[in-house]
Amino acid sequence: METTTPPPAADPVSTRRERYVAVVVLVAVALVALAAFTVPLSLVNWEAFGVLVVLGMLSERLRETDVTPGVALSLTSIMLLSCVVFTGPVGAAAVGAVAPIGVSRGARLVFNSALYACVGAVGGLAYSLAGGLVGHMLHRAGTSGQLALHVAAPLLLADLAQALVNAVLLAGIIYLSNGTPVRQFVRGVLKSAGLMYVGYGVIAFIFVVEWYPARLGAFSTVLVLAPLLVARWSMVQYGDEFRAHERTLDALVAAMETKDVYTRGHSERVARLCEAMAHSLGLNQEDTQALRFAGMLHDIGKLSLPSGLLRASTVTDEQFAQISRHADQGVEMVRQIDFLADSVGGIRHHHERWDGLGYPSGLSGTDIPLFARIIAVVDAFDSLTTVRADRDAYSVEAALGELRDRAGSQLDPAMVEALERALPRTGWEPTQLPPRVLATAGASYDHDCPENSDRLAASPQLVDLVQRGRHGAGRRSVSS
Amino acid sequence: MIGGLRRLRLEGGLVLLGTLLCAAALAASLHDWPRTIAAHPWEVAAFALAIAVGEHASITLPGNRAIAPVSTAAALAFAMAGRTAGDAPLSLSGWFVIAVTALSVGVGNGAIAVRGWRVPLVELMPRLIGVSVAVGLARFGPWHSRSVLDLQREGAALLASTWTTALAMLLLCAAALSAHGLVSALIQKGRDHAPLRRAFVDEVHSLGALAAALSATSVLIVTAMVAVGALAVPLLLAPLFVTQSGVRRFAANRVTYLQTIRSLSRLTDLSGYTEPGHAERVAVLARAVGRELGMSARDIVDLEYAALLHDIGQVSLTVPIPKGATVQAAPANQRRIASDGAEIVRKTGVLDAVAVILEAQSTPYRQVREYGEDLPLASRIIKVCNAFDDFAEGARGPALRAQALERIHLGLGYEYDPRVVDSLSRVLGRGSV
Repeated sequence: METTTPPPAADPVSTRRERYVAVVVLVAVALVALAAFTVPLSLVNWEAFGVLVVLGMLSERLRETDVTPGVALSLTSIMLLSCVVFTGPVGAAAVGAVAPIGVSRGARLVFNSALYACVGAVGGLAYSLAGGLVGHMLHRAGTSGQLALHVAAPLLLADLAQALVNAVLLAGIIYLSNGTPVRQFVRGVLKSAGLMYVGYGVIAFIFVVEWYPARLGAFSTVLVLAPLLVARWSMVQYGDEFRAHERTLDALVAAMETKDVYTRGHSERVARLCEAMAHSLGLNQEDTQALRFAGMLHDIGKLSLPSGLLRASTVTDEQFAQISRHADQGVEMVRQIDFLADSVGGIRHHHERWDGLGYPSGLSGTDIPLFARIIAVVDAFDSLTTVRADRDAYSVEAALGELRDRAGSQLDPAMVEALERALPRTGWEPTQLPPRVLATAGASYDHDCPENSDRLAASPQLVDLVQRGRHGAGRRSVSS
Repeated sequence: MIGGLRRLRLEGGLVLLGTLLCAAALAASLHDWPRTIAAHPWEVAAFALAIAVGEHASITLPGNRAIAPVSTAAALAFAMAGRTAGDAPLSLSGWFVIAVTALSVGVGNGAIAVRGWRVPLVELMPRLIGVSVAVGLARFGPWHSRSVLDLQREGAALLASTWTTALAMLLLCAAALSAHGLVSALIQKGRDHAPLRRAFVDEVHSLGALAAALSATSVLIVTAMVAVGALAVPLLLAPLFVTQSGVRRFAANRVTYLQTIRSLSRLTDLSGYTEPGHAERVAVLARAVGRELGMSARDIVDLEYAALLHDIGQVSLTVPIPKGATVQAAPANQRRIASDGAEIVRKTGVLDAVAVILEAQSTPYRQVREYGEDLPLASRIIKVCNAFDDFAEGARGPALRAQALERIHLGLGYEYDPRVVDSLSRVLGRGSV
């Protein structure tokens, strides 16, 4: 695996990353020096080395992006593992260093080269330590027993060592770029890709067996492409899953924004801010994604509202109640999509109030699902920091001030605090909309503005109207 | 009705052929079994087990076809194996291989059937016939009167022929898998009334890459057997086996896409723009008409998605159309709905082909004749099927349907493509939708 994260915005983060990359390069050099002393170069199978350099560069070109945000998966790990057997640790480090050339650029290239060199060297050292046969020594291994003891077992050890080193080094740079905690990342990566690493070991072993004992020599490369490409196909499915989810969201949001031009960009900003809050709250990978989805889709129910209503400048109590149905309608629209099952609670309850005067169910306090409490804060924040036809956008400080005033009544105080912690890293600026959009929308009513929640809290009849028809009025326990 | 009978005859014929093959193989080889098994117990067991277990690792393709890559690869290797560990010869008669393969396939599927999953007998025939072709080709030498197995046995002396033998085996696998594909296409043709050539091309497109991987895996098994004996079978099949998790993810991704499309399709229903069920009915009709007109499987998928999503552009309307019947709306509105819908669909990033179909769905047929405009067939099909369902309002009774068809005939040649309308009449006449 290697990283595809974009260069960061803020400066101190950038210097920390550069220092980290420099450390990784030094470690790689040290490992290669150590390796040069353990395995003599006379054993290296140069023919295989050449083949593996080409294959290494090819597998980088064919890498699968989008396995998780910022991480790409490629078959280079198999090449490095095979290298460990055919050429020893120095050869593996060399192939690793050369592989990302032409695919990554600049600082990312330096990091990926150093990463792969470390991985190759560590694998080779582990292999030799476990008594593995390298290069031309393999002519001696005739029987299955010898192959198992002196190739298969050490190879498995090398495989595990490589997987761990890869994950740890990558976790470092991801932490410095995104803030994702190291342990969470390593655990997540090993859980999702763990079995594939064992598969890599098997394919590398197959490569060795076909070259030496089966005496196919270099022709084995042609045949081994089959399991290689089968492995790549599996990887692509991981990427496809990620992409399928993203595209589903894009399509739903596009439908919503076709109807209501004013909300253009709002869903995406809410989703981004929710993700930042997830990191600051320490949520795991799956919950972060589910929260993101909920953030993207929280307003989708607005599709069921008449366009006239969306463009009105003031609304009566009855119209308010009609608009409030968008929470339940949103859930109805996405309930058939399995991967959104965990996000439904956030969509349904994002207009609940901490004091129980919200809708649709009148939940209060921590009865409100966590995602809903987060979205409520982020929704209000983005509404305040977006320019409207009748007022300027609030500054970040002023918006936070408004939110703090409402902590304990409308909003969860802990979530407001979490937003304050998460904001500096995002570099958030108030949102300006093009004049054309402002002109089209006019002074239309913004349901997400905190003032409207104030209006709800101030009027018991309105609360009743909005919560009425929910299997009896008043509060009930969490439903999603 | 007539189509159904023809299909039964075709499938019955294939099953009969397969059964005769197995019976002949058993009869011819039975006396040899004890000796062969005693001579190479591990190898025979490894292959038989791999084939039986491989039947469990089957993949269901769109169109409800099941393939079993692990089982097929093992069977092909079985057909071609000639040497085992320590350069010892592995002599298996052709009938023996076919008999054991058939038995293993039977046991494997028997276990599946016991657990309650239905496996149509006819779907096993492509594998059986493919393996028989492989067995035949491996033992009858087409070049220099030496078969692949003979080449293998001599390989120990001539280093060069190791990889030429491998190459020969690859070609052999390709031939066997083509036979497999042809039989599959025949079965598919019987089910879908699609032309045979189209069905075969579809097979090649969807399974060509897999066939290459299978061929290479089989050859890898045979060559690795020289070094590690029977262990080569599980070793080389492991990568194929492990991809089952990738296959599950693939299936889950497809489900996600379908759920997304269904949800997008329901958006207008939930927002009160369209009648529930309309989009699905149009999709069913469009699919049947598309198959009838010989569209490829890939194009049919795009057509179906386009049919499900054809009304999504209506979300941009400030005043909903009564009953969502776009056929009654003004042409300018129809065009706007079509282009808005295409825009939304384009956002998914994977449905560009569908977006193209949706853009043109409201264009009248006469633009093709009068201005030589290029109107995609899928768009024409959707226009006709949508109009039909808008007129018939979902009725299934023959009288109401005849009325709807009449109204379409009024616009024949002007709005609607006559070829598509004819096809629709035939599909409705068959009574299956």
